[in-house]
Amino acid sequence: MNINKSAAAPVNNKPGLFKTLLLCLPMMTVTLLMLSHGQRPEEPALLIAFVLTFAFINTIFFFMIYTGETDRWRSILFIVYSFCFILSFITNLIEVRGSMAISEANMIEGLTPFCHIVIPMTLIPLAITKTIIFPGTIIGANASIAGMFVLWIGTSLALGRGFCSWFCFFGGMDEGFSRLFRKARIKNIDRKWTYLPYALLLVIVLASAAALAPFYCEWLCPFKTVTEYQEITSIKTALQAMIFVSLFIALVMILPALTERRIQCGLFCPFGAFQSWTNKINVFDVRIDPAKCIKCYKCVQICPSFSLSEDTIAKGKTATTCMKCGKCIDACKQHAIVYHIKGTPLNEGKVEIARRLFIYPAFIFLATMAGGVVQDAIVKIIKLVTTGSMI
Amino acid sequence: MYIKLDGFILGLSNGGACMAACAPVLLPYLLGEGKGIASNYWITGQFLLGRLWGYLLFALLAWMVNTAVLRESEMWNLIIGVAYVLFAALLIFYGFLKKEDSGCQNSCNRKMYQQLTTLRPALFPVTAGFVTGLNFCPPILLAFTGAAAQSSLIMSLLYFFSFFLGTSALFILLPLIGISNRFAVIRIIGKMAAGIIGFYYLYSGSIMLLRGIAKL
Repeated sequence: MNINKSAAAPVNNKPGLFKTLLLCLPMMTVTLLMLSHGQRPEEPALLIAFVLTFAFINTIFFFMIYTGETDRWRSILFIVYSFCFILSFITNLIEVRGSMAISEANMIEGLTPFCHIVIPMTLIPLAITKTIIFPGTIIGANASIAGMFVLWIGTSLALGRGFCSWFCFFGGMDEGFSRLFRKARIKNIDRKWTYLPYALLLVIVLASAAALAPFYCEWLCPFKTVTEYQEITSIKTALQAMIFVSLFIALVMILPALTERRIQCGLFCPFGAFQSWTNKINVFDVRIDPAKCIKCYKCVQICPSFSLSEDTIAKGKTATTCMKCGKCIDACKQHAIVYHIKGTPLNEGKVEIARRLFIYPAFIFLATMAGGVVQDAIVKIIKLVTTGSMI
Repeated sequence: MYIKLDGFILGLSNGGACMAACAPVLLPYLLGEGKGIASNYWITGQFLLGRLWGYLLFALLAWMVNTAVLRESEMWNLIIGVAYVLFAALLIFYGFLKKEDSGCQNSCNRKMYQQLTTLRPALFPVTAGFVTGLNFCPPILLAFTGAAAQSSLIMSLLYFFSFFLGTSALFILLPLIGISNRFAVIRIIGKMAAGIIGFYYLYSGSIMLLRGIAKL
């Protein structure tokens, strides 16, 4: 193996303690305002949750700046956020409805929370019938359709498919299970499966347009297992529930644990395939410097979304499916992989600037989404400890 | 309305695989003629017309099967259910497990095409379309079952016509040629989409089968 020693020399991207604190000040200000809503929380449980969440989020950001590592710290917040989301979501559902199951009456009333995965299925019917084919509420309610569309458009413009590693409240579950073991038990995965999300996207978009109903939510969403599902009243709804649970166990728990990859996100999620196209319009991408790369292909082995291959490395860039998680960047000892702003040269001195320009907006999105649910989950845990019930 | 959409969706989900598999027959002809986009669309239209005839012939056969075998049978649900389940399993196998082959090139005699392009170039697009249309691949077998389950000849013809429209959608891009280097990817995605649709038919077939068994 031909190693270019000068290229392999580590680059000192780490700022000192004082500079790190200065760089963290904007994030501290934003999260302080966001978490407190401009007021000091009155209830003790809320105050504790606020202090803990604020400290947790900003500690993560501090280390992200101080160490120059992205994925190592992002993943902690991302995974915690995802599991707190489940805790918060399920307890809220039980508080409001008394059950995780949604009845037909609830659906007719438009009480189903809208999630981003539905977006690709709604577009054709929206264009043809001027109707959103989802039993949710357009504005005003929690997880409203308009609110989710606005967040999706904003995140897509800012991060492209970085959405899947910095915003998606389901992605952290997949990621959490993919980090359970130190070594992957299954290593060789046929790359043809990376096209499955596109095939699934094609089918669900067409089927949803034909049936004027969100086909993926009705039949295939693994996350129904940990959020909400249609009340089991027939063989059909029982079969649907069985499919949800089986897919969750296989794609979100077992296969990620065995492969150390985000299998549901990389090989199944149709929204991920749809979101990949937004990487084309986003200013940030991940690039590989061929002069520094020693072709060890460690990045290929660890990429959670199968976005790196020998071919893409030869071209100096990732596939369009890249989730911008930063795992390959952290793992590359040659510092050959970097966050990059499209249209700018791969300049050694600008690498950390490009990274910071990416992680500020990305982290704000993550902190915005995570802040509320982590706070809520802490309140629920305090409730459980003090009263014996989360509800 | 639902029945027609059913055939259309089946066709559309298979359109990628169909287009990618049949393009090797049509594309060299388009490139060889090289008369511009308008002319390419005209030739593709002729090719599709040939395919439509092939499909309508299938619809007619499906209807004959319906009248000869199914209509009088008390086991209508059972027979259609079994056919759906078998062909859906075949479609799933075709979509996910079967190794790549050259699709229509296998089923269509290449020598015949070469002779046809030399001797009767004007007949080539329609004839080639007709022959590729008579390909016994799993999606067509499923469409055949769907058409056989219709209540009248018109409905059977409509079913195959909507299936034809679905499979033809991507052919709109073919005369533009520019996507030719993505055929392999389109083919994989098309086949996988067909496999996924296979699961839907497996479900529909199983329900019909259960109803058929309950009637016994």
